[in-house]
Amino acid sequence: MDTSVIIQIVVSGAFMGLVYALVAYGFQLTFATSKTINFGQGELVMLSAFFSLTLTRLGAPYWLMVPGGLLFGALLGLFVERAAVRLALEQKSEGWILLTIILGLLGFSSAENIWGRDDHPFPTPISSDPIHVVGVDITPLEISVAVGVLGIMGLIELFKRRTLLGKAFEAVSADRDAAELMGISSTRTVMLSYALSGAVAALAGILVAPITTVGPTMASALILKAFSVAVVAGLESGFGVVVVGLFLGGLENLASLYLGSGWREAPGLLLLILALALRPNGIFGKASIRKV
Amino acid sequence: MKRFLLIRGAELVAFLLLAAVPLAVTNPFALGLLTLLAIYGILLIGLDVTVGYLGQVNLAQAAFLGIGAYTAGLLVMKLGVGLLPSLAGAFLLCLVLGSLLALPALRLEGPQFALATLSFLALTTTVLNEWESLTKGAEGLQLNRPPLFDITLNAPGFYWLCLVLLALVWMGMRNLLSSQWGRAFEALRDSPIATDAMGVGTYRHKVIAFAFGSALGGLAGGLYAFNFQYLQPQSFVYELMVILLLGVVLGGRKSLWGACVGAALIVLLPNLLSNRNLFQIFSVIGLVVALGAGTRAWLKKSVRPFQVIAPVAAMGLLALGSFLVSNTEDWRKAIFALMLFAVVVGLPEGLMGWAAGALARLFRVAAAPLPPATDLDLVLPMQALSGHTLLELRDLKRHFGGVKAVDGVSITVRSGHIHGLIGPNGSGKSTAVNVISGLYAPTAGDILLDGKALPRGSLFSVAGAGIARTFQNLQLFGELTALDNVMVALRDTYRTPWPLVLLGLARKEEKQAQAAALALLQLVGLGDQALSKAKDLTYGAQRFLEIARALARKPRLLILDEPAAGLAHPDAVELVKIIKRVHGRGVTMILIEHHMDVVSELCDTVTVLDGGRIIAEGDPEIVKRDPKVVEAYLGAMAAEAPAVDTGASTAPAAA
Amino acid sequence: MLKVENLHAGYGGAEVLNGVNLEVKAGTVVALIGANGAGKTTTMRAISGMVRPSKGRVLVEDLPVEGLAASRIARLGLAHSPEGRKVFGPLSVEDNLLLGAYRHLPHFLGFRSKAAADLKKVYDLFPRLEERREQLSGTLSGGEQQMLAIGRALMAQPKVVLLDEPSMGLAPVIVQEVFSIIRRLKEAGITLLLVEQFAKSALEVADYAYVMERGKIAVAGTPEELRKDERVLAAYLG
Repeated sequence: MDTSVIIQIVVSGAFMGLVYALVAYGFQLTFATSKTINFGQGELVMLSAFFSLTLTRLGAPYWLMVPGGLLFGALLGLFVERAAVRLALEQKSEGWILLTIILGLLGFSSAENIWGRDDHPFPTPISSDPIHVVGVDITPLEISVAVGVLGIMGLIELFKRRTLLGKAFEAVSADRDAAELMGISSTRTVMLSYALSGAVAALAGILVAPITTVGPTMASALILKAFSVAVVAGLESGFGVVVVGLFLGGLENLASLYLGSGWREAPGLLLLILALALRPNGIFGKASIRKV
Repeated sequence: MKRFLLIRGAELVAFLLLAAVPLAVTNPFALGLLTLLAIYGILLIGLDVTVGYLGQVNLAQAAFLGIGAYTAGLLVMKLGVGLLPSLAGAFLLCLVLGSLLALPALRLEGPQFALATLSFLALTTTVLNEWESLTKGAEGLQLNRPPLFDITLNAPGFYWLCLVLLALVWMGMRNLLSSQWGRAFEALRDSPIATDAMGVGTYRHKVIAFAFGSALGGLAGGLYAFNFQYLQPQSFVYELMVILLLGVVLGGRKSLWGACVGAALIVLLPNLLSNRNLFQIFSVIGLVVALGAGTRAWLKKSVRPFQVIAPVAAMGLLALGSFLVSNTEDWRKAIFALMLFAVVVGLPEGLMGWAAGALARLFRVAAAPLPPATDLDLVLPMQALSGHTLLELRDLKRHFGGVKAVDGVSITVRSGHIHGLIGPNGSGKSTAVNVISGLYAPTAGDILLDGKALPRGSLFSVAGAGIARTFQNLQLFGELTALDNVMVALRDTYRTPWPLVLLGLARKEEKQAQAAALALLQLVGLGDQALSKAKDLTYGAQRFLEIARALARKPRLLILDEPAAGLAHPDAVELVKIIKRVHGRGVTMILIEHHMDVVSELCDTVTVLDGGRIIAEGDPEIVKRDPKVVEAYLGAMAAEAPAVDTGASTAPAAA
Repeated sequence: MLKVENLHAGYGGAEVLNGVNLEVKAGTVVALIGANGAGKTTTMRAISGMVRPSKGRVLVEDLPVEGLAASRIARLGLAHSPEGRKVFGPLSVEDNLLLGAYRHLPHFLGFRSKAAADLKKVYDLFPRLEERREQLSGTLSGGEQQMLAIGRALMAQPKVVLLDEPSMGLAPVIVQEVFSIIRRLKEAGITLLLVEQFAKSALEVADYAYVMERGKIAVAGTPEELRKDERVLAAYLG
């Protein structure tokens, strides 16, 4: 096959990979503060996309719809934290895994019944006519994905490093008890992390929706790959998820080219299981110390 | 015996009743539901192994159901294999795949495990869909139920087959769970570190348990295939998995009865949803139950407000929905979600867990009497006091980041000695023994036992080499009885191969283990508290129990990590007596202690650590007067208070 | 400044404290000594809210704080430097110090300029921390981590500082340094409650001391009085 076609396919896969990286980054945010992740995050992506679609249909312009969608995602994140995570954290149990799965299912069913089971196109002012860049076709839509993903990740990283609240966030992930002794409320920090994670997921939904269309199942494949990216990269490194996301996005497009489109999910799933076998804390993660 | 008969009697009656149904009822629909009940029963018993006993969220069981179903179906259709061999094939393939998945997945816990199993489920669905040459993909696979030994099975016949298999699984599982295996499963959830340190390979047990549970999923899958005789990849997806979890959690974890009750619920649920009136009645009943249970818990103040409000809100939403929504089928997933949410938050022990508690209050049946204790010489043979070098540390180092917890320590421990290790808090004593016992790998240096290099960084391997330890922060199996705690650790006792264990042929061995464990409990003075749960023992008794448990390993070297920490005065005196008794049997010990007088009284040699290095070593009386020790340790800190009064020294009276 | 009345607390049903009474007056250094397992650290944790007391009162400047979350109590001006130092390993030395001042600094921007004066004070006290301000605190030596933990507590402009076993795990030379720092804090008028296993040294810096036994205060007095007490002398100062 022509190399330029293969490069084209890898590049457009990599743009998609950035979306996986963004959702995986959302997992990292909550994992840092609470050692939990939302297993229903895919539904959060989907519900936020539906909500944004409704905003657009009600006549909201793009610049208003985006913050509206992010706010909705943040609120959903807060709801997940309150309903599924906080109790389990207080009891030091792992009930949160099951509870977040359950909330995801509830969200899925609600979307099915509120917005219907069909896929809807997602209008966007950004063009999808390709531009020719160094031998590869790139659409402004894809560029908007890259800008959005790297932009919000950069903003959050800046927040973590440059503001005291952000440093407090890192302090809680380093040592919850010690952070409490500095006057940093760990409960509020966990809430903040879930709100941020929800907003990040919502942005992922808004960015990806013009490409995939909006429907109840729009995120069910995406979320599996976001899980893979998070596990393969490790749940600590923001840089790691971007690298792994780009890699996986390209890889799965190749798999779908050579093996058939039904196999496009397989590489991510295999990578996840392999990563657990070979480097349980991820390529960019650190080993943990057992304590007695 | 009475308790035994009561439980077995209930099981027998239940199975006989189920078996008799086809004789009275000929309705094919009802029979179909019962068949499905038996199949799901096997499936959920398998799932309960990981979800209940290992306490891990397992999202792969639906995949094993699918793999089992396709395996059995393809064996029959492509290779013409018979009914029982194809079921065995499904079982074995899932056993192998289960092990392969468990090997990586069970290295980590919690979310990572759930993610690995979720990936496996998705991968399985992909393969079933895409491997069209074999599975016919989304089109589905048509198959015929093969005869059983030339007998063509009709509906009741197949039902009886499923029921017999369920009964066999039930019996095997019960035998397994009441053997050392079941005890180990329980123990490793309470303290995986302690099971490793007691030579019960935590990881190995988890892998075996998961593989076995998956194999049961495969068996259920085979039956599923022969029941429906038509297979489609969409049947084995995430949604089914959530329903299966609903079954296990609602029925009650860690219970065979719970798994079967759960199976009954998930078989009936779709029918419940299709009848609106029935659904309304059930959701209102659910709301009333949630309100009632919530009010009771509220009054007893035993739970957090969230645990009362959330289930009521969920059930309220369900009840409200049942009247507002006409198309309940469309809302199926939301209904499952609300029910599951209410149960996980409000009734975490499930229906059978709750019922078992109520039944235990109704019928108080005495536990079976314990056998007389074995002679201690058999359990803990006298070891000769040879005085040769048993353990040798050469320039051992362990650093954590910039903190040099152990920084070049060389120690020789002689056989038959009690070797004291003292030093201020944080001087590196605990880190040193954590490195020896394999919890941490050393940063540098050698550890030799009898001149041979000791395994590094593996509690399990070090335990196998003959080193047992206790923990400064207790690592007991809190939910197990004192006797069971010791029985978990017993070495060279369980010899019956597992197939015989499944058949229930290990009872004699179990009695012997009880007798041996009892002897060790008596050695530490806990003979009369053998059947109390470890978490209910007094703090002192828990410390002694850890010593008894470590002794069950017949250790060549016993490491006691601050056994006197936090002990009240009489207990500390008792502790000294126990250590002397153990020493009397020739056990070599490393004793970490703060109290100089205890060390003086018990130890043959003592090593003083400070800042991760040795500052003195030798006979306790001489070390005590060593100017370096006096200056750096005893002098400056002015000798710790002897909260332990061994009779020799003067203790301060409390003012 | 700090008053504890009839404090009871424990872990999972096991009572560790059975009625502790103590008082720290403004500008004084009070030592809490006693055997391992007597309940010194638990007392500290119960005061700062790390452990919820089952009974009793804790007053910070006459304000009852028992039962509040640890972060609330910290914001009221009680700085607890915990046993084992607990610095934020992945964060730099300076970030650790800035977080110490979390209770009175702006949470978004401009916190650096507001913290400059406090930072300078801490760096004057611990020049070694200034040399390593950009270094990740997890890579510091044990002694440096202890200085950081103390510095972090001082950054809060606290009303009271609880110092739990500052000498733990340190080589003798460093321990002496730690005590000289405590002496300088005392000269600076910091109100301090100190838990120490080095009883003699602790008594040398303290204005008043409590001896704990089995979850209670067994003896209390000025260092001179305790040094004259036969039982304390025999048991702790041997």
